[in-house]
Amino acid sequence: MTDTALKSEPADYVLPHHPVRDFLTGSVASIGITFILVLAVGLFWVGPKFVSFGNVSIMGTFLIVPLIVGAFAGFALLSGVVDLSIGSMVGFSSAIFALLLSMGWDPFSAAAVTLAFCLFFGAINAVAIVGFGAEPIAATLGMLVALRGITWVLLGTQGAIFAFNIELFNLVSTQVFGLPLFFLLAIGLTLLAALIVTRTRIGRHVQAVGGDDKAAARAGISVKRVRAGALLLSAFGAGLGGIVFAGQLGSAARATGLGLEFQVYAALMIGGYSILRGGVGNPIGGALGLLAVAGVSNILDLLAISPYYVNIIVGLLLLAAVLLDRLRGGDAFE
Amino acid sequence: MSVNQALDTAPPAAPLKVRFGGLGTGLILAAVWIALIVATGLYRPDFFAQQTLLAVAFTMSIVGVLAIGQGIIGMSGGFIDLSQPAGLISASLVAVRLSEAGMPFPVVILGAILTGMLWGGFNALIIVFAKLNPVIVTLATNFIGLAALYLVFQLAQVPLNSDIYVFGRQSWLGLPAIFWPMLALVLIVGFLVPRTRYGRRMIAVGGNRAAAKARGISLRATRFATFIIAGGFVGFAAVLFAGTAGPFNPSSANTLQLNIIAGVILAGISLSGGRGNFWMLLLSIGFLSTIPTSLVFFGLSSDTQSIFQGIILIIAVSIDGYRALRRTP
Repeated sequence: MTDTALKSEPADYVLPHHPVRDFLTGSVASIGITFILVLAVGLFWVGPKFVSFGNVSIMGTFLIVPLIVGAFAGFALLSGVVDLSIGSMVGFSSAIFALLLSMGWDPFSAAAVTLAFCLFFGAINAVAIVGFGAEPIAATLGMLVALRGITWVLLGTQGAIFAFNIELFNLVSTQVFGLPLFFLLAIGLTLLAALIVTRTRIGRHVQAVGGDDKAAARAGISVKRVRAGALLLSAFGAGLGGIVFAGQLGSAARATGLGLEFQVYAALMIGGYSILRGGVGNPIGGALGLLAVAGVSNILDLLAISPYYVNIIVGLLLLAAVLLDRLRGGDAFE
Repeated sequence: MSVNQALDTAPPAAPLKVRFGGLGTGLILAAVWIALIVATGLYRPDFFAQQTLLAVAFTMSIVGVLAIGQGIIGMSGGFIDLSQPAGLISASLVAVRLSEAGMPFPVVILGAILTGMLWGGFNALIIVFAKLNPVIVTLATNFIGLAALYLVFQLAQVPLNSDIYVFGRQSWLGLPAIFWPMLALVLIVGFLVPRTRYGRRMIAVGGNRAAAKARGISLRATRFATFIIAGGFVGFAAVLFAGTAGPFNPSSANTLQLNIIAGVILAGISLSGGRGNFWMLLLSIGFLSTIPTSLVFFGLSSDTQSIFQGIILIIAVSIDGYRALRRTP
């Protein structure tokens, strides 16, 4: 009796939440439509070979690392901090992993040590941003440059470390149902991340911290702990991506991971994340963003159009995506 | 000296305190810079040579002019302009094409500056009318701009012995010629910003948008003005860049970005707006430009340069963030 009396009806002008309407106006739906558009354009211009197993398998091979990195980096964006150092972290991780392999370490202990190093640098990010309140974009930009320097020193004057491990290469390039096994694993990881974000208490805490950190703090969530954890996760994901990268290539070079942060964040923003406010975005949207961008670049590739158009299209898609995010309720600038 | 005085609503005690704070930044910067110079000089006495001075002054010039533009954006509350590389390269390309056409030097300079202003205006157009955050807008326009530039040219260079080429290799009073315009611009901008009505408006908008708007300052006009003026500085930096760089491609300016942002933050020009002193740029950019030369004298490879730059940036923004944390109770 008292329960129903206390429950106040929502005011008329507030649209009550409805699963279908929420989905259609949400970020995943708009990137889903973009993705379908890219598919349609591909089928129309390139023909059925665009979705053939061979072509998708090629795209998937290149998408493994960005998908892994993006799934983890999404947690940092969701909690309201952006980690620009992921590209350099991938390069650093592949360099140190290749170095350890070339010194005769077995892949598992090499991977463990590599991930420990990445977590250490992620912890420095966390201390600067969470502990001292540094601007995340500027602080992680510093980490990006510092890690690139460390990577180049590790790679030495030769500029590359060759560490071809046949078992590792066979594992990474295993094909299942005509698609790369690791591509399917990366998709699985994305789905797992989506489940964590939407269905668990941890995911809701991350979203709450990103959406309004003061309200989250009042609700008893440790904002600092969530953000520090998210930055560590992002470093861990980049480290994992670097290890897979080194396994794929059998080497690490100066160009490994260079500019990957822009590729990943542009795609994540197209997929509904925001690098300026937390609490929005979904791993599935982010993965669709990566797939859409890869699809665009694949179409231009197959049609032998200059690859520079990809960046123009990505830039325009990015502007469209942030405009859409603002219209959906994001903060307007001034 | 301090720009916070511009807000005449500030309590009377504030200016003195802020002035001291501003001086503190300068003292710390100067101390660190001198420590670096002395340490390198003790390790390798041949560090104190005309060559070193030339190298440092040369590195300071282009970064310094770009940092003025970045500082204007930051101080007025526009955060960061990530599209400076695209603006710089397009203005440099215009300078190259104009010199190839045999235009006199003033026309080349004017063309480059106008190109930079146009680029800044284009950014402001999107920021103001789409109401989007400058960081993302400039990230995207840099993406688009550099890709479009690659479609236009792959490699460009000013013609040998053209006016701009000669200017880039001249030296005046024992320092590279390009150093003096940078010095003059930093001094002039640092003098004018806290002392003119327009400069104060800019700081007011950066400090507190709502308060500035309530006092009748147009946010849109300020945003347009700051981006166009900052673009003008990028255009002028392009003259120095095109005059001194050998053959350049659209990616040639990407490495400058970090030193500029680090220099602006170290100078105490807050990226969140409303605070800073342009004269401090001379100290911060001077310090950052000495590092590469010092490392060479310490016998470290140029790869280690990035490590130091990155660590310095992380420390600088941590200090900046810590100060802000203490200021807001």
